[in-house]
Amino acid sequence: MIEITHLAKKFAVENPKKLSEQERKDPRLQGKYFHSVKNVSLTCKSGEVLGLLGPNGAGKTTTLRMLSTALKPDSGDIKIAGKSVVKTPLIARRSIGFLSGATGLYGRLTGRENIAYFGQLHGMSASAIKQRISALSSLLELDTFLDRKCDNYSTGMKQKTAIARAVVHSPELVVLDEPTTGLDIMAAQTVLAFIEGLKQQGIPVIFSTHHLDEVAQLCDRVSVIHHGQTEFDDTLTRFKALAPGSLHQAFMAVIATGDA
Amino acid sequence: MWMVFIKEMKEVVRDRKTMFFMILLPLLIFPLIIGAVAYFSTKAAQDAQSKTLTYAIVNAEAAPQIDAALAKADGFKRLSLPANTSIDSWVKSDGADFVLAVPPDYDADPLQAGNNNLELYYNGAGFNAIEARLNTLIDPIAKANQRAAFDKLEITPAQQSAIMAPIVIKDINVADERENIGEVLGGLVAYVIFILCLQGAMIPAADLGAGEKERGTLETLLISPIDRHKIVLGKFLTIATAGVTTALISVLSMAVWGILVGQSMAIEVVTNFMGAIGLIDFLLIFLMLIPVVAIFAAVLLSLSIYAKTFKEAQSYMGPLVMVIIVPIVMATLPGIELKGIWAWVPLTNVALAMKELIKGTMDYYQLIGIFGSTAVIGGGLLVFCVHWFNKEKVLFR
Repeated sequence: MIEITHLAKKFAVENPKKLSEQERKDPRLQGKYFHSVKNVSLTCKSGEVLGLLGPNGAGKTTTLRMLSTALKPDSGDIKIAGKSVVKTPLIARRSIGFLSGATGLYGRLTGRENIAYFGQLHGMSASAIKQRISALSSLLELDTFLDRKCDNYSTGMKQKTAIARAVVHSPELVVLDEPTTGLDIMAAQTVLAFIEGLKQQGIPVIFSTHHLDEVAQLCDRVSVIHHGQTEFDDTLTRFKALAPGSLHQAFMAVIATGDA
Repeated sequence: MWMVFIKEMKEVVRDRKTMFFMILLPLLIFPLIIGAVAYFSTKAAQDAQSKTLTYAIVNAEAAPQIDAALAKADGFKRLSLPANTSIDSWVKSDGADFVLAVPPDYDADPLQAGNNNLELYYNGAGFNAIEARLNTLIDPIAKANQRAAFDKLEITPAQQSAIMAPIVIKDINVADERENIGEVLGGLVAYVIFILCLQGAMIPAADLGAGEKERGTLETLLISPIDRHKIVLGKFLTIATAGVTTALISVLSMAVWGILVGQSMAIEVVTNFMGAIGLIDFLLIFLMLIPVVAIFAAVLLSLSIYAKTFKEAQSYMGPLVMVIIVPIVMATLPGIELKGIWAWVPLTNVALAMKELIKGTMDYYQLIGIFGSTAVIGGGLLVFCVHWFNKEKVLFR
């Protein structure tokens, strides 16, 4: 069970002149600070998949970065199975598998070496790493390229390897930031099937996306963030009920409520 | 920490660009550059010596000895000075390589003529050996004339020698050969080693900090359950290892090439000099690399973590090459020795110590100052790196 309550994060704006027109008009810009996330709360139980939606720049990535402990929230709390991520980030890191949107691989290492390195950092033994890579390799279809240097990988190969790396330590919670962006249909399907597999194992998954069909296919819960605030956090059924027949309309309805 | 180190080293070794700067450049390029410079300068000197020089003599009949010597000597070709032409412009317009003007009152007997002032016109722009080659012909004539004059005055060769040099000061330099060469070579060695250490460490440093940011691997590394200081130390050790390796390879390459050149050209000084430096001093010179790379690696890592991209990191690091010249120049200034406060001035103390070690006059107690100041500065910079590795502002710039 993951519980995020009243999360907030602001960033100092060093040079206001560099901000775009859109950023200057954003209500979150207050004085010298840009309040990227103002009030985000969401919950996700074991075996549930939560789709995090929101327009570009809404605060999704900042929220996920706080969840992954890369950023420290200014206020609010994140609890995984009752333990605070904010207070004990090092322990929390062991239980989270995080794939950031701008993730990369070490190009001069092979896919196997990339995954194994993070296994080692998580304190796994050599034999455990070997077994886990073998299992992930068949799940994510990595066999054909795993021993090649990552420099030569296609986008799909990179993303699949990055996902394997993120979950090498069998985390209690998996967080994926736009995992299917830029992938071809085949690669995207493998990723979605992998998320489905996690769900069946009872591992909660939080993933941000712009593809509502993925939400319809996988998610139990939906959370919509707009201007750094949670505008919707409930089940997919309730979300669908906002505008019967179209998830797009439901999403637009939530955004419109936030703007009102 | 070691996991990070091993993985980073694996990446460094697989990077062709880094390997080129670390190994190939010092191993082959330096000897090639030095060899090419030596070859072309020797060739230029040989050409100047063997080239046939064209000349003219004004008033040749006044000095028949000189005229005859020039006519007899190999590699000289006499021309006649065209009428109504100034000597200056003729030589300038490459009419001849030189013109020797003999004064009309020239007399072979110095007792009669006093100083015979001959004028040599030549174009001194560019490398030439005119004066040296001419002197080898004229000196014996001058000596013979001098001897004849002393004979006329009934002065024996012994008396002549005493008159020519009534007071002789004989140099007895107690510094041995090693100390003499060491003074000159010591500064140079420090300079080369410093630059190479920096050069070797620079590319991996830019890759390990800014490169990770640019590729998007840093965020994943930061959320793995490893303490930030271990990441910093692992990266620091990798950069330091790259720097030391480059410097070691360069020093070894220089030593090997030095011995080869020394033996092939039978330069006894070089062979003796290399032989005079004991094993312990050699080891200490290598040991001196530790404080150097510790400071360089820490500075480079700080810059690299701050930079957003590989390119930005390199542009911060470039000026460092200029900056490190300052402490090296300080070490070569007169009056600055490895004692007192100077033993605590970073990098300058290492440059001074390298000089002392090569000279063989090292005061080993000064090592305390050297390693003490390095530990403080290197340690401080590492703490700073760890601090920066914890700063969201720097990491997500």
